[in-house]
Amino acid sequence: MLEAIKLTKYFGGLAAVNELNLRVNQGEILGLIGPNGAGKTTFFNVVSGFFPPTNGRVLFEGKDISQLKAHDIAYRGISRTFQASTLFMKLSVLDNVFTGYHKSYRTRFLKRVLHTPSARKEEEGFRQKALETLEFMGMASLKEELAANLPHGYQRTLGIAMALATNPKLLLLDEPATGMNLTEKNAVIDLIRRIRDMGITIILVEHDMKVVMDLCDRIIVLNFGQKIAEGLPEEIKSNREVVEAYLGKEESKNAA
Amino acid sequence: MVKHNRYLFNRTSMRIHKFIYAIIVIIILALLPQVVRNPYYIHLLIMVGINAVLAMTFILMLRTGLMCLGIAAFWGIGAYASAMLSMKLGLPVWLSLPAAAVITAIIAAFIGVLLVKQGGFGFIIQTLAFGFIIVLIFGTFQVFGGHVGIVGISHPESIPIPFVGSMEFTSISKMPFYYLMLFLSLLMVLVLTAFYSSTAGRAWRAIGLSAHLAESLGINLFNYRLLAFIIASAIAGLMGSFFAHYYGTLVPGSFGPFKTINVHVYAILGGINFPILGPVIGSLIMTFVPEFLRITEGVEPIFTGILMILLVLCLPDGLLGLTHLWQRRSKPS
Amino acid sequence: MSILIQLIVDGLAMGLVYVLLASGFNLIIGISRILFIAYGEFYMLGAWIIWGLMIPLKVPFFFALVVATIAPAILGAIVYQVIFRYIQFKEQQFLTNIVAAMGLMMLMAQATLFIVGTESRGIPSVIRGMVNVGGIRISYEKVMLIGLTLGVIIGLHLLLQKTKIGRAMRAVSFNPDVAALQAVNANLVYLGTMAVGCALAGFAGGVMAPVFAISPKMGGVTLLIILVVMLGGVGSMPGAILSGLILGQILSFGQYFFESGVAQIIFFAAIAIILFFKPGGLFGQAQQISLQ
Repeated sequence: MLEAIKLTKYFGGLAAVNELNLRVNQGEILGLIGPNGAGKTTFFNVVSGFFPPTNGRVLFEGKDISQLKAHDIAYRGISRTFQASTLFMKLSVLDNVFTGYHKSYRTRFLKRVLHTPSARKEEEGFRQKALETLEFMGMASLKEELAANLPHGYQRTLGIAMALATNPKLLLLDEPATGMNLTEKNAVIDLIRRIRDMGITIILVEHDMKVVMDLCDRIIVLNFGQKIAEGLPEEIKSNREVVEAYLGKEESKNAA
Repeated sequence: MVKHNRYLFNRTSMRIHKFIYAIIVIIILALLPQVVRNPYYIHLLIMVGINAVLAMTFILMLRTGLMCLGIAAFWGIGAYASAMLSMKLGLPVWLSLPAAAVITAIIAAFIGVLLVKQGGFGFIIQTLAFGFIIVLIFGTFQVFGGHVGIVGISHPESIPIPFVGSMEFTSISKMPFYYLMLFLSLLMVLVLTAFYSSTAGRAWRAIGLSAHLAESLGINLFNYRLLAFIIASAIAGLMGSFFAHYYGTLVPGSFGPFKTINVHVYAILGGINFPILGPVIGSLIMTFVPEFLRITEGVEPIFTGILMILLVLCLPDGLLGLTHLWQRRSKPS
Repeated sequence: MSILIQLIVDGLAMGLVYVLLASGFNLIIGISRILFIAYGEFYMLGAWIIWGLMIPLKVPFFFALVVATIAPAILGAIVYQVIFRYIQFKEQQFLTNIVAAMGLMMLMAQATLFIVGTESRGIPSVIRGMVNVGGIRISYEKVMLIGLTLGVIIGLHLLLQKTKIGRAMRAVSFNPDVAALQAVNANLVYLGTMAVGCALAGFAGGVMAPVFAISPKMGGVTLLIILVVMLGGVGSMPGAILSGLILGQILSFGQYFFESGVAQIIFFAAIAIILFFKPGGLFGQAQQISLQ
């Protein structure tokens, strides 16, 4: 479904992503792991259109999306969450999700400005859908709460809810379980499974190995912007290079 | 006015309350010149109206991340366009008013396509430069009257009012101009409110809160920002054309960065979180307080400059931002 | 032929002043990220200090020049401590700083008009006489102007390249957080940057006072400086040098052939065209201090 071909992204003299070849199959949950700075978030940023690649291409459903900008990519059916709590802080939870439906409007612009009955009906319909999405996530009771007031765990899931609202075919989840306790993590795991069951393909960047092993059908390991391993969870677990990549960090942490 | 009511009317009672308040305010505003007879104060009120609308357009753009330091230039373009249309082409004023707004919109569209793409930093500097250049152009070329400006711009033709007679626009009474200004301002407020409460307004709000996030949800930043820019400039142009036919004289210097900075102050004094009410408050205070404090023309920019600095340090949300303090206390947590 | 050289020399003199101003402005925006709209006022301040010291008080020129450099620096430092320091570390820092700078500009511009009135002044010659270079006569004052500005520009580059302070400034402009890790006090650097920037402006105003007229509206030069900086590439020191010199030449030739307003329009047009093809300016938009 998504394919990166020799994808390269340089920042100044540093290659954050270096000749990366990667493929995601429809309906799977692909895990993307690697030490900090391995290029995972940069990969997301390039695929979702926030940075153009320096070299190489990204194909989505067979079409080249490398040069598309972020909003166009959203229309193509790729959505993402962000690492930091990127939400509309001053808006309510419901309004946050509601904004996600923005691109789905069908009424003509002029009619929307004039507030014709058909425009208002469509708007009402999307408000309903936003509510349903919140129910799907188990957050319906929080709908009036300001996004800024939410506890961290719910802020992350709100980010996922907004991405879902755009009706994506491919969902890029950037560390959805960070900062969560065990209960929350299990809830997120369950949530991601339900999202996959809806037919959405998922790429998951995550540091928590338990989450990754539980959820992912396949795992790709990055280090220094390059793919160093790829395979099923059990294979990756016992892959020496992968362990070294992570352990290497441990060593230097102990030495310091 | 009856046709417009339906846009404001909504199921929730808060909307009905707001509507009733609006009607009351409009009635008060309409009766104001009957109470305040002094023509100088009526002139001040007219300027308050113009400045308030200009500040509203400034906020419209600012909320989408565009700090347009050339807003006075578009005000000027509308003024000069209308003056030239009515004087050189002999158009009736009632035609040149909307025509000037359209011309301003077209110019804004061309300029906007170039400038909006630049992103925040480049946009700010280039609108600043644009503001300077326009004044330079108006002041240099004789077609626009050079640095002397345009004098003797015709007043609007009289409007026949059924059963009452006709409303004459002469140099004698300021009242008809006041009512014209009131009508135009309210019309602009309606247009702005319509846009703000539509999906465009929601997109603008999203862009203002987090442009990154809005973009990832499919909102085209450039399109919506350009839209805000064109609407804002067109409205500024319309107010400019009214100003031309009201004031009768145009001097290029009055459309420069000083004016833009003043408009900026009206906007932030009220509070940029209140796109309609804020400018009204800001404009009112900045027009009348120097009056009552007897601040002379020479000192006024000093006063304005100090105010800007104080605002930005102490009251970043403007005066109306203070209402959040009292609101937060009364809400059960 | 001699007119040509004369114009070039005049353009060089003007251009170097703009180079100074553009460099100072670049410092402030490259390091502190403040679009300092009030910058031109400090330039004007330097010039008027020269006038105020030399005419009523009969202070010798070089002493007045020192004051004209130090006083704006102190004022800039005060302004930073009192106003910009509080904005520097908040969100919306960039936009808020612009508003504060605009307020400061209005304040200083009008205060100057108040104090000195609306008329331009001049100061009597500091060094009389002309020097004869290859058939053309250049006033000693212009030579002094060129010499002094060149000296200061070289001094500035040495400061940035070789000294610890200069390194600290460049570090902060690149990444304030990383610089903090190296025990660089960002706030101190911002304070110093503002002082140095305003010193440059004051010096530029002081050094040009004997050669050109002193007007109470000189603060308007800020826009021109912003455009020069954009042309050269924001934050780029070499860019500031090149585009400052270009402006000098355009103004010199433009004023000779057309009236002054037109020369400015030509410059604007030239910038618009160049920026259209190369939006980052001649040396690219580093948005931080770059010495390449």
